[in-house]
Amino acid sequence: MLTLILRRLGTAIPTLFGVIFLSFVLMRAAPGGPFDGERPLDPATRAALTKAYGLDLPIHEQFGRYLTRVAQGDFGPSLVYRDFTVTDLVAKGLPISLTLGALALLLALALGIGSGLVGATHAARWPDKIIGMGATILTALPSFVTAPLLVLVFGLSLGWLPVSGWNDGGLPNVILPVIALALPYAGAISKLTRAGLASALAEDHVRTARARGLAPMTVLFRHALRPALVPVASYVGPAAAGLLTGAVVIETVFALPGLGRYFVQGALNRDYPLVLGVVTLYAGLIILFNLLADLAYGWLDPRARG
Amino acid sequence: MNRPLTLVAVIVAAAVLGPLLLPWPYDVIDWGAVRGAPSLSHPLGTDSVGRDLLARTLVGTRVTLSVATAAALVALVIGVAWGAVAGWVGGKTDEVMMRVVDGLYALPFMFVVILLMVVFGRSILLVFLGIGAVEWLTMARVVRGQVIQLKQRPFIIAAEAAGAPPRAILIGHILPNVAGVATAYLLLTVPQVVMVESFLSFLGLGVQEPLTSLGILVKEGADDMDLSPLGLLVPGGILVTVLVCLTLAGEKLRDRFSA
Repeated sequence: MLTLILRRLGTAIPTLFGVIFLSFVLMRAAPGGPFDGERPLDPATRAALTKAYGLDLPIHEQFGRYLTRVAQGDFGPSLVYRDFTVTDLVAKGLPISLTLGALALLLALALGIGSGLVGATHAARWPDKIIGMGATILTALPSFVTAPLLVLVFGLSLGWLPVSGWNDGGLPNVILPVIALALPYAGAISKLTRAGLASALAEDHVRTARARGLAPMTVLFRHALRPALVPVASYVGPAAAGLLTGAVVIETVFALPGLGRYFVQGALNRDYPLVLGVVTLYAGLIILFNLLADLAYGWLDPRARG
Repeated sequence: MNRPLTLVAVIVAAAVLGPLLLPWPYDVIDWGAVRGAPSLSHPLGTDSVGRDLLARTLVGTRVTLSVATAAALVALVIGVAWGAVAGWVGGKTDEVMMRVVDGLYALPFMFVVILLMVVFGRSILLVFLGIGAVEWLTMARVVRGQVIQLKQRPFIIAAEAAGAPPRAILIGHILPNVAGVATAYLLLTVPQVVMVESFLSFLGLGVQEPLTSLGILVKEGADDMDLSPLGLLVPGGILVTVLVCLTLAGEKLRDRFSA
């Protein structure tokens, strides 16, 4: 287990460094700068600002300085949200994005595993066919289409739920964003559970359990479900990454003050420190999720512990 | 008859021919009908500045599909070349090349694409180059696996024994046998790219005005849906149809070649 973690970190650290390097180089290569507003600044102010942010140094020194500060958890001041450091914005936005993502992941797992179970136990009969078709469609439905549709139906037409806003995470405000975010992943998890269960139910240990006369429910939940969830577990890592990305759209549609919104604003306004900080943070989170998924994989399938 | 692909073909035909037959071009403002309801001259109504929504939807479909096809072709070329070389040469070269792919897989790739858009400016050409440059990874893996399998097949060994140069074997024997799987993954890459392009355009980081794409139309439709839901439903419906049909067709083809 420890060697697995160490080996993962061995590839994770160069990847993370690569992300920081790539995003740094790309942002600096971009035409236009953060001080190119509608009103040109006078040259003295411009020079002072450039110096204050260290933008006059040679590029490798800028990168060195940046790397040192990143290692200390300091991503510098935001260039557009004056008076805020990137770390402030992350501290404000990340909890909201993570709440959204975690709730969506739970909902996707519940819906996906549940419907996959129903599908596999009714193989080739109508519930299986309906669930299979539904899962395919859900997987292909992008959240930027489902989200406005949900708003149109439940927000505007029926008036049951608020159309936008966070309201400190009030339950009615959270429902639609979480559903919109979760649906594509619920579809994918449903397919994986269905396929995993179908092959698990055909395995020898399940046949043995049945032959010993265990109750069908016991066989299903204790003997078949656990190995069937292995592919689901290895999907959770990439799904978590996708949920973070998806949250960018959901936060835009529902006007939620999460990190994704700051990221989009940063990208539209060439706010280098903010964009670099968020990309680095997301890369770190994605690597972490993949590591956790690998560990869950070992727990679910003892053969993979090696 | 392949129903999903037929449906996509109908949509493509409508997107290519439709704008030629409509009275209003996609970028001309009808001052008499700003935010107009559906009527005879504007079957879907007009947008918030009075441009014909039907024409905009058809042109947007065309833009989205051309960007997606072009980007998928970029991904095909890079992916097949990378995977074929890695699988054919093998050894250290293979290991290094696949390490690069693994590393790129771990990138928060949507954010990298957004970085590329910010850097290169939001031009349509670079939208697809940027997406294509990121979407080739799966193709490279699949093609590499395929080439490694093919390498051990008797007809390849026979060609080698007969003294055929590696280039001739790669082009004459390996690539034709990879073509089927590559086509399946090409079909699966197109919806991926459509998704990325619409995602970017939805956020305002993709295709720029006055051009339009399905992502932008969904965004505008969502903004004006209290007036008329058609602006959201029609482009959204086309987008979803294209995504579902291409995914179904691609999966079917993939299963046929991997079986």
